[in-house]
Amino acid sequence: MDRFRLPAGVRDILPDECARFDAVQARLRERFVAAGFRFVRPAGLEYFDTFAGADSPVAPSAMFKMTDRDGNLIVLRPDMTLACARIAASKLGAESAKLCYFSDVYDFSAAGNSDREIAQAGVEVFGEAGAEADAAVIGFAVDCLEAAGLSAFIVDIGHVGFYKGILEESGLSPAAAEEVRACINAKDAVGTELALRKNGASQRAQRALLALPSLFGDAQVLSEAEKLTDSPAALASLLHLKQVYALLSKAGKEKRVSFDLGTVKSLAYYSGAVFTGLAEGVGAPVLSGGRYDGLCARFGKDLPAAGFAIGMQRVLRALERDKEVRQ
Amino acid sequence: MIRVALAKGRLASSCADLFIRCGIRADILKEETRKLVLETSDGAFKFFFVKPSDVPTYVEYGIADIGVVGKDTLLEAGADLYELLDLGFERCKLCVAGFAGVRPDPARPLRVATKYVHTARRLYASRGEDAEIIKLNGSIELAPLTGLSDVIFDIVQSGGTLRANGLSVLEEVFDISARLIANKVSLKTKAAQILPLLAKMRGELAAKDEV
Repeated sequence: MDRFRLPAGVRDILPDECARFDAVQARLRERFVAAGFRFVRPAGLEYFDTFAGADSPVAPSAMFKMTDRDGNLIVLRPDMTLACARIAASKLGAESAKLCYFSDVYDFSAAGNSDREIAQAGVEVFGEAGAEADAAVIGFAVDCLEAAGLSAFIVDIGHVGFYKGILEESGLSPAAAEEVRACINAKDAVGTELALRKNGASQRAQRALLALPSLFGDAQVLSEAEKLTDSPAALASLLHLKQVYALLSKAGKEKRVSFDLGTVKSLAYYSGAVFTGLAEGVGAPVLSGGRYDGLCARFGKDLPAAGFAIGMQRVLRALERDKEVRQ
Repeated sequence: MIRVALAKGRLASSCADLFIRCGIRADILKEETRKLVLETSDGAFKFFFVKPSDVPTYVEYGIADIGVVGKDTLLEAGADLYELLDLGFERCKLCVAGFAGVRPDPARPLRVATKYVHTARRLYASRGEDAEIIKLNGSIELAPLTGLSDVIFDIVQSGGTLRANGLSVLEEVFDISARLIANKVSLKTKAAQILPLLAKMRGELAAKDEV
């Protein structure tokens, strides 16, 4: 083995790039602090059990695993949100907290568009619930992407409650629901139809689920979606998004947001509104976040929570593309 | 500008017809050329010609906003992208084929020769069957003839090559046709250009179905 080589999926960041990286980080730091967030530096090694379990949002195959000296299985931190939730629930002792971080997470399974060592900048708000809290977090996500220097971007908003509500009425088994979710998430209308027919969902639920892949665009889709379901949970989530949109409009951010009810992120993690920052010229999201009430309860204290993480490398790539376009 | 990844050959010329019916100046796709990048005269579209199995890659990375590719290639690539439309052409089936009536030795795993290694692995794993997947790059039908494998897992259009070699379809597994795919970010950031095109294509395909 050559001594000067690196394993796949990681790389060194050299001075020129590092300077650009630090400049973006400095602008974000200013924003985070001005908005009242306080920095934490969570541990880089954690117990496997913290992230394991049938309902864990992190797949065991996505973690770098090692055995500790006492025989326990430990992992390289796979997720910042869980680490912050653990800290807020078990160490701070307060009913509310606003935490932020600049940290790397590690993804053992990464391939394709992603790296195995991912530099993130993120914020987590604990102890606040409701449309106002969601609108504040999403509005702050817009502020941060602007502060980072991006010009052409939108924040795309969905809600896991809409899908969950329809699912409850459909009579699908959990395994079938997961198959359908994967198809919807890929906007694969053909696959969704086949999966529904095979698994025998109720007629009305079938129609609603089939419409999901095309339920994206401006705030108009929220009204369209209302016609598709009678599920109280699904309707409540649409009402919630309308309130969030009204609040964002009041803050003058309506041009920066769009909606996609067919973004069905992991249900083990998110409980309400979810959102993704999309920048022109980068093929993958630059920001990802949402509401995850219930996650803190895993660590012994039930706090409502929402937050997001910015992928620093993708932001840098978007900034480079912006510069190329302008030249 | 919308950037489109296409596989050169028959698929590209089927796409050209559909694109032209949707009002895109795609007549350039029908010209004989060795260029790998073509732009429409109004500058609204840029086409990249790539190997079929590379279409999902160009779209996943956002180098192309949309692309047209067979479902078989999509299944095999497992790329993270949106699958928007079944274009209905280039229809075929992904099948298991072999010698009819010949039972392979049950004492050892079934040997399967295929180009679609990942898809085959997933298929047999989902059934809980042990199978030895053998990767080939062409003339898959030769494998059972020469004893390299018990069966093959491949696309079948007319079945002519199978019959000519004494093989037959044992099982049809997936229906395959050309699909319109899109990058997950481009669909949103270029929604104003891509969505009207999508609606037009949907209309054209529906009109064709009625004929």
